[in-house]
Amino acid sequence: MKSVEKMRNIGISAHIDSGKTTLTERILFYCQKIHAIHEVKGKDGVGATMDFMELERERGITIASAATNVTWQDYSINIIDTPGHVDFTIEVERSLRVLDGAILVLCSVGGVQSQSITVDRQLKRYKVPRLAFINKCDRTGANPNRVKDQLIEKLGLNAVFVQIPLGLEDKLQGMVDLVGMKAIYFNGANGETMRIEEIPAELKAEAGKKREILLDAASMFSDELMEAMMEERVTEDLVIQAIRRGTIKRELVPVFVGSAHKNKGIQPLLDGVIRYLPDPSEVENYALDLEDNEKQVLLTSSSSKPLVALAFKLEEGQYGQLTYIRIYQGWLKKGDELYNPRLRRKLKVGRLIRMHASAMSDITEAGPGDIIALFGIECSSGDTFVKPGLNLSMSSMYVPQPVISLAIDPKDKKASDNMAKALNRFTKEDPTFRSYVDPESNQTIIQGMGELHLDVYVERMKREYKAEVVTGMPQVAYRETISLRADFNYTHRKQTGGSGQYGRVAGYIEPLLEGNYEFVNEIKGGAIPTEFIPSCDKGFQTAVAKGTLIGFPIVGVRVVINDGQSHPVDSSDMAFQFAALGAFRETYNKAKPIILEPIMKVTVEGPTEFQGNIFASINQRRGVIISSAEDGNASTVEAEVPLSEMFGYSTVLRSLTQGKAEFTMEFVKYGKVPASISETLIKEYEEKRRKESK
Amino acid sequence: MVKSELIKRSPLRIFEKALKDNLKKGDIAVLASRKGVGKTACLVHIATDKLMQDKHVIHVSFAPRVDHIIQWYEDIFKEIAKKRDLEGALDVHDEIIKNRVIMNFSQAGVTADQVLSSLEVMIKQGNFPADIIIFDGLDFNKVSREDLQKIKDFAKQINLEIWISASLKNPEPVFDSQGMPTELVPIFSAIDFLITLRFEGANVKLHLLKERDMVHKMDMNLILDPKTLLIVEEE
Repeated sequence: MKSVEKMRNIGISAHIDSGKTTLTERILFYCQKIHAIHEVKGKDGVGATMDFMELERERGITIASAATNVTWQDYSINIIDTPGHVDFTIEVERSLRVLDGAILVLCSVGGVQSQSITVDRQLKRYKVPRLAFINKCDRTGANPNRVKDQLIEKLGLNAVFVQIPLGLEDKLQGMVDLVGMKAIYFNGANGETMRIEEIPAELKAEAGKKREILLDAASMFSDELMEAMMEERVTEDLVIQAIRRGTIKRELVPVFVGSAHKNKGIQPLLDGVIRYLPDPSEVENYALDLEDNEKQVLLTSSSSKPLVALAFKLEEGQYGQLTYIRIYQGWLKKGDELYNPRLRRKLKVGRLIRMHASAMSDITEAGPGDIIALFGIECSSGDTFVKPGLNLSMSSMYVPQPVISLAIDPKDKKASDNMAKALNRFTKEDPTFRSYVDPESNQTIIQGMGELHLDVYVERMKREYKAEVVTGMPQVAYRETISLRADFNYTHRKQTGGSGQYGRVAGYIEPLLEGNYEFVNEIKGGAIPTEFIPSCDKGFQTAVAKGTLIGFPIVGVRVVINDGQSHPVDSSDMAFQFAALGAFRETYNKAKPIILEPIMKVTVEGPTEFQGNIFASINQRRGVIISSAEDGNASTVEAEVPLSEMFGYSTVLRSLTQGKAEFTMEFVKYGKVPASISETLIKEYEEKRRKESK
Repeated sequence: MVKSELIKRSPLRIFEKALKDNLKKGDIAVLASRKGVGKTACLVHIATDKLMQDKHVIHVSFAPRVDHIIQWYEDIFKEIAKKRDLEGALDVHDEIIKNRVIMNFSQAGVTADQVLSSLEVMIKQGNFPADIIIFDGLDFNKVSREDLQKIKDFAKQINLEIWISASLKNPEPVFDSQGMPTELVPIFSAIDFLITLRFEGANVKLHLLKERDMVHKMDMNLILDPKTLLIVEEE
């Protein structure tokens, strides 16, 4: 068990294909945890250790994040391998939540791409200090200077080289360390031996210049260094401390260079992690006090304080459910009793595990700042564990609403059982993935953040759970809303022998700009008895759950009741619920209901020569081009496009651009559906209802 | 206030009145000032006024990033909507941004030909029926008379008007005794309308210096609001 100062929790964030998995693999290798290096798409069929899911192996991408622990120079480093695709951002964000620092990996040729911008935005949101690693410096066209400039211009980071490459492309030999002013070369079959030498004469001038820039930037964070610079007595340690301070304040980003694939630059990067990224005690984390109106409570990395930990990742292992947790405060021992405030349930800690990518070691205790895994704990991702007696929750993570749904049908009985198991698992692992059975069609519906998101789960069902399913057409999650204020005055009356039902509600509905639903009671003088007010609210809530235009939930409605009537005998909870429901249905059409659809922010990147095709493809999809940016031959187009028009876009884009363009998308807002499409949707819905009623 | 009323009462009507002979398709209007006086805000205000009139605008910029330009549009729209208490501001906003595209060229030394060919692609293949193109931050030290003529020909061919901002970087004197920007003298004949923004006391004032073949210095009676940078009538 290391002291907290000797601990680092880091993530490796990157654009797809910038070599993140290879870099992780090399880090594991140098930390002597594994004995052979495999490529991501390995010919030996083994695949990189971090990315152990078969599906990921096949696609060459990393989908699920796994935590792994390594030791470097007496420091314990927990690495979270974060997924790179935007469709899985909840996984990225959940990982970022538990990190104290990150390595932002960039390709020396591709530079800052749309995904890097997304990932960087997430790092900013979760206030994660970062180092930048410009990878693939051995590739033809490598241009680390350009990438560093892009970090400054496109991401607005104060990026500054702490190394410069020794040679580039196929002549990459190593790097010059601008802090120690030495040249570093890598020897041995896997570059495991570092050779430190004097800087070659031809690079001395450039190294001197770049060091000056580095010192100028670093001295902003250390008066001591500034003084030392003036008196010309700068020491390596002063520079390191200044860079560290700037990095932890997130006002400086040290830039490293190298090539993971060619085994160049990994050890110095690991040194950088230790030197410049914060230990857990240097990062402020807050929990919410559930007994004090969710007031923020600052946690301290102290082992004597009561335990607060967050479950950030669940995995179905060979021996049951594995729960990855980050301990923020306090000490955790095998056999301890914990409390889960969400479930209001106590639990006992069985096995404590420290994870390597696909191997594990049992441990007996863990302290503040550490990331470990528990076996056999019933919980969901995002749950908090505390010492019994505390009622704290780590702030709830932002979970976006799903925007797309898909009907799935198991092929046979066995598949049906397996599907249920798989869905149960996936919905626990990923809060943006949901499933339910549609009571009308009796079909299982899965919901998520995009086509690819759902595709991956359908494939995982097949591979990991042997659940073959037939999928329907993807369905967009439309919403209904009102555009005008409309009054209601509705009486629900029923007399069928025995006690009857009576309730009258009056008031109005109006558009609500922020939020989905609001209920306002303006009744004075007890026109509706107080005990039936919640019944009215409930009735209106039932009404907005499903609109009558196309059967989707109604959002953006404020319901105000200001009058009504009750009957001493016939009024009841049910009667007022029905009255409210009737009132809403009656007045809904008067309020000019409209249909809303999810609008996605689509970013397409590709060579400028295909810009015309890209513009045209967005135009055909009812998209609005917000901007286009050209930088030499690379062009980035940003647009807002309705999700319903984006199905199959990846295939279309590939064929339009000879596979040279790529796109990412994320949900931005709900927008009005144009009248013509609205009519079609309404007709389709009416048709569907007619068929169902037959 | 409803949108149509807002358009009618915009100070830009005074602006147009000053340019008695309104801009025609194929015309080039230049807005010149030293750096940091408020050219971009001015251009964005002009563009927003056009957008309100359901015209299509392409905003060409040469910045490292586009988000701050989008922010300019958001800010200027917000200020106008607030000032005039625009009815249904959200809907108007959503409607007008559909008619605006920002095209950014961050490569150093991008040529006029490259820019014009991308504009043509946007207009034709992107099916964007532009009425006005705004060039924000064109470097007049690097733009030749021929380049300007190419832009003019393009505007005529596609049938649109052009607004350009010129950031005056030359050493003193930036303006000659007539108030003419010295830097623009070599390309003067290619400019149809020239407006300068200059501090006079605490205010930034707008002057019309060239109106087709007429060269004179005319006070437009407009200033930039120091708080919002909107073009407003001088009191």
